[in-house]
Amino acid sequence: MTANRNLKARPKATPDRIQNNIQSEKAIVDRAIVDSAIQHVAETDALSVADLPSSAVSVPLNLWLDERDAVIARGQPVAVQIAADESPEDLADQLDSIDMVVLPFVSHVDGRSYSHAYKLRTRFGFKGEIRAVGDVKFDQLGFLTRVGCNAFELPDGENLETALRAFDEFSEVYQPSADQGRLIFSRRRAVH
Amino acid sequence: MYQYDSIDKTIVNERVAQFRDQVQRHLAGELSAADLQPLRLRNGLYMQIHAHMLRVSIPYGMLNSAQMRTLAHIARKYDKGYGHFTTRQNIQYNWPELADVPDILADLAEVEMHAIQTSGNCIRNISSDQYAGVAPDEIIDPRPYCEIIRQWSTLHPEFYWLPRKFKIAVTGATNDRAAVQFHDIGLEVIKNAEQEIGFRVYVGGGLGRTPVIGKVIKEFLPREDILSYCEAILRVYNLHGRRDNKYKARIKILVNALGIDEFRTQVEEEWAHFKDQELKLHEVDFDTMQAFFPLPDYEVLDDGDARLEKWRSLDTRFNAWYEHNTSAHKHAGYRIVNVSLKEHGVAPGDATDKQMDAMADIADQYAFGEIRTTHEQNLVLADVRQQDLLDVWKALDAVGLATPNIGSVNDMICCPGLDFCSLANASSISIAKQINEKFTDFQELYDIGEVKLKMSGCMNACGHHHVGHIGILGVDKKGEEWYQFTIGGDASNHAELGTRLGPAIAKDKVGDAVVDILTVYRQQRQDDERLLDTFRRVGVEPFKDQVYAEQA
Ligand code: HEM
Ligand code: SF4
Repeated sequence: MTANRNLKARPKATPDRIQNNIQSEKAIVDRAIVDSAIQHVAETDALSVADLPSSAVSVPLNLWLDERDAVIARGQPVAVQIAADESPEDLADQLDSIDMVVLPFVSHVDGRSYSHAYKLRTRFGFKGEIRAVGDVKFDQLGFLTRVGCNAFELPDGENLETALRAFDEFSEVYQPSADQGRLIFSRRRAVH
Repeated sequence: MYQYDSIDKTIVNERVAQFRDQVQRHLAGELSAADLQPLRLRNGLYMQIHAHMLRVSIPYGMLNSAQMRTLAHIARKYDKGYGHFTTRQNIQYNWPELADVPDILADLAEVEMHAIQTSGNCIRNISSDQYAGVAPDEIIDPRPYCEIIRQWSTLHPEFYWLPRKFKIAVTGATNDRAAVQFHDIGLEVIKNAEQEIGFRVYVGGGLGRTPVIGKVIKEFLPREDILSYCEAILRVYNLHGRRDNKYKARIKILVNALGIDEFRTQVEEEWAHFKDQELKLHEVDFDTMQAFFPLPDYEVLDDGDARLEKWRSLDTRFNAWYEHNTSAHKHAGYRIVNVSLKEHGVAPGDATDKQMDAMADIADQYAFGEIRTTHEQNLVLADVRQQDLLDVWKALDAVGLATPNIGSVNDMICCPGLDFCSLANASSISIAKQINEKFTDFQELYDIGEVKLKMSGCMNACGHHHVGHIGILGVDKKGEEWYQFTIGGDASNHAELGTRLGPAIAKDKVGDAVVDILTVYRQQRQDDERLLDTFRRVGVEPFKDQVYAEQA
């Protein structure tokens, strides 16, 4: 036998942030399929509020931090993205002015946004919509819901009706998260 | 042993249904192979050279006889009649069909087993000391803590897509048999001056391409804080571990990049947010869990048994087995039996369905129906009456499970290598055979004494070669298989990485090189020194001179 050289190519790293705008016709919000009109605008060097389309958008975190008043002045619901390599801490004192936090997934295997959602809900008490977009499919919906996401845009071609099944796969869990606060042992303590 | 309640059962059954649905969607063309991949990995299913490989979880190495019979049944019905016990105390099957895997998982669920998180970038099976509960040097039984951590980490929604896999090990004895300093988190259960129970916490240990000894992040963590502290470590790692290069993605790289002090600061800051909330455990949680691991119904016996002593003097094979494969037990009149899965000519760690069934029967008859797996790829019957040892030996011998070589050169750890693994540079199983053939004289083996020989087929280090007293690593030189030697590695409390011997050695010379190393040892040893001790005293040079003199 000879060594399996061809299998050893190093995998390419995926970027941390979305490179293109994302928009979907439908979304799942609070377990229902609804129409969606919001466009998630990708960050570019020269991006400014003046360049944004007049329709509904979510803006990159940096644009929000630079031009907060201009974003609010658009008169649309305020939606801000937190990329995988950014931190919800940057928004913590401004969450009252924000209607929706968008978590863009470049790759569904990048789990950082799960911690972002968890912190937004449990540490910063964010009550608005947390929407996962990008490479998010059926098999991620259950755990994303547990950490605090309540809205999802799936890539084109995904069957949303089928995806609704994902919310009922597990009826029991072991640990607290944003969806429920009990640790398994504290539930068992109550029984004893 | 831990027994599932209705909550555990529900979770495992729903997990089987979930995977069945995923496989059906895949076979129906609704779920691409690429999207199925990380999902099947988190159910222990890999794609290998010849076929799929399924890794079944054996939490901290504990099995009852019914579970062992199910493992035998799976080997028989869905595989080619054998399974492979791994260095993380799990079992792997090399030939299952994808379409059968949901049924296999359903069979496992019947006996409270699963394959959840046995691979993929998530928290893996918790490993521990195979002598937990019975070792004379044990301070605290680690199993209740293992089970508590197992439940917290199972299907944890936030830590399911980590930068890389994450392994936790727990020990509660003075001699570390769980290699905790080579885990992402290593936990040593200890008592402080006030006799309170807690953990010394190591973080960032690991083998693989960049072997690193774990660093102490906390000298004493009270036991009620174990889950919150692990959660804080995991959150810092999930957010800041590298994701751009999978070879730099383990927590050890993050800890080294930040330095242990800065890493500790970040963990403590994170921990402060929720340290005294829901994850804090109560005394009653430990008591409830400890009750699942009661002392077996030991009889009141004395050490030493007349029939045993008589047969030890009459039968040299039995005596050799007694001396090498059994160890001291906490309780008088009992012994621990190590069952060697290193029969000459068999791949280390492999067991057939018949052997597994026989183990279940022997355990039922002589060992309270309980079996453990070890990270050295052997099995253990933890509680055997000394008066039963002769019968146990006969029963094991009848199925090829009594090779008296525990702790010897032939009791090696060895990864699947080129025969089964798509990443391998070189074969390791055939090398194991080559070495076995050099040491067919058991008297010579015993004279050499304890040697931990560990072998990996590539730098991913599944065979733990860095911590072998003798470590052998398969390397690829222009498409040929060569082998790099190290000496002096140690996975126990005195954790040490092996020292490189010199240039790689040709495939047909590996057995000779092992003989050379052991020849130097036998010439130079003093008193009761093991190979490891002699090496520590004389250094690598004498070994090098001998091995490369012959190669020249
Ligand atoms: C047959 C297919 C296998 C493949 C493709 C495979 C692949 C790998 C890879 C890529 C790593 C390095 C991971 C890293 O450093 O992040 C690794 C580590 C490891 N593997 Fe395997 N492995 C296989 C079989 C096994 C078997 C059979 C065992 C047990 C006998 C095993 C035990 C381990 C252990 C303990 C490590 C961890 C070393 C550490 O602490 O970093 N593997 N494996
Ligand atoms: S060490 Fe290398 S060859 Fe051996 S099983 Fe691991 S990845 Fe495969």
